Amino acid sequence: MIWKKDKFPVVKPDTILKEVLDKMDSFCLGIACIVDDDQNLIGLITDGDIRRKLLSSQKPLSALFVDDVIDHAIFNPVTVQKDTSVSQVIKVMDENKIWDLPVLDKSKLIGLIHLHSILKYILDQ
Amino acid sequence: MTVKKTIIVGYGSVKKVYIGENLPLVFIGGPCAIESRDHSLFMAESIAKICAKHNIPWIFKSCFDKDCRSSVDSFHGIGMHEGLSILSDVRKEFNVPVVSDFSDPIWAKETGEVCDLVQVPAYLCRQTSILRAAAETLKPVHLKKGQFMSPWNMKNSVRKLESFGCDQILLADRGTFFGYSMLVNDMTSFPIMSKTGYPVCFDATHSIQLPTSMGNISGGQREFIPPLVRAASAAGINALFMETHNNPSKALSDSNTVLDLKYLETILVQAKTIHQCRLELYSKFGEDIVHKE
Repeated sequence: MIWKKDKFPVVKPDTILKEVLDKMDSFCLGIACIVDDDQNLIGLITDGDIRRKLLSSQKPLSALFVDDVIDHAIFNPVTVQKDTSVSQVIKVMDENKIWDLPVLDKSKLIGLIHLHSILKYILDQ
Repeated sequence: MTVKKTIIVGYGSVKKVYIGENLPLVFIGGPCAIESRDHSLFMAESIAKICAKHNIPWIFKSCFDKDCRSSVDSFHGIGMHEGLSILSDVRKEFNVPVVSDFSDPIWAKETGEVCDLVQVPAYLCRQTSILRAAAETLKPVHLKKGQFMSPWNMKNSVRKLESFGCDQILLADRGTFFGYSMLVNDMTSFPIMSKTGYPVCFDATHSIQLPTSMGNISGGQREFIPPLVRAASAAGINALFMETHNNPSKALSDSNTVLDLKYLETILVQAKTIHQCRLELYSKFGEDIVHKE
């Protein structure tokens, strides 16, 4: 149910925004996880963050594209630990109106859990 | 303004020059092309007197090869070996760091063995082979923004230099093409390029160039040097670059843009005064944060 890190966008803080968007597009996902060299989760960026940025920033798109992703990241995102129960994960998603949750082992990113994978898991049971 | 790094120019016993935020404005200047040993020594002595009088840290600039001249008949340069020998003499005689650009990667090694700062020409600012060669000199790199480049895209050239191991970079603006044979200066380029984390420089004399406006040579509007220098000094530069000559009409390169030596002192004093004022204003009012995205 938990996607491994090669199944969703995981990027370094100094990756430029254009490359992050390319990566999100190639995975057909609206989220990218930003990690440091030790794989600790630093922040997230989502389609919604980009949408809000486009509405608020007056920068030319070419200037926005070359910004480091960390300049536009959200910090202290909602996450779950690797031993969180499925029902608790659904509760966290519902409370926060989100459908992607980074899964951590303490502070290290180990995967991502998506609402679709939970639904598939439930239907398969 | 996000200037984080200080670059240190000067090796061996030469007097080191520090370029960065909250530091004195540094002057980088000299004749565009090395014309002769005597002329270089004369120009260096003249500039040294002005800079000593006003306590302005400076770096002597002059190039041994002018590969981007408009015409094949224009003066192309004195040559690398003779030119570097002259720069070495200037360096020793006046205890001043020196800089020259280089237009061919194979010239980088020898340029870096003499020069304290190596310069990447604006037209070549995104050439990977030139940037790699500049980084491999292990000297600080003066990287000029191409007239065709946006200030934010200079980050890609910076990243190239960093990938080759260089973390001593000075970014310069020398104007941006505005249609044909015309440059304009966008003062927002300084805070934008500063976001790379490196200090920034204003090249005043190339900024007033009218590229190849005279058929087979470039023209220039020197009357705009003073207001542009004042504007850039207020906008937040860390170094000021100007080419200067004791007899501009006889200069072998860029005769329409080089600043007459007799005006250098008044321009430098104005730039220094405004720079100090800006630092005081920063100290008093803090960073320029008036908008958050």
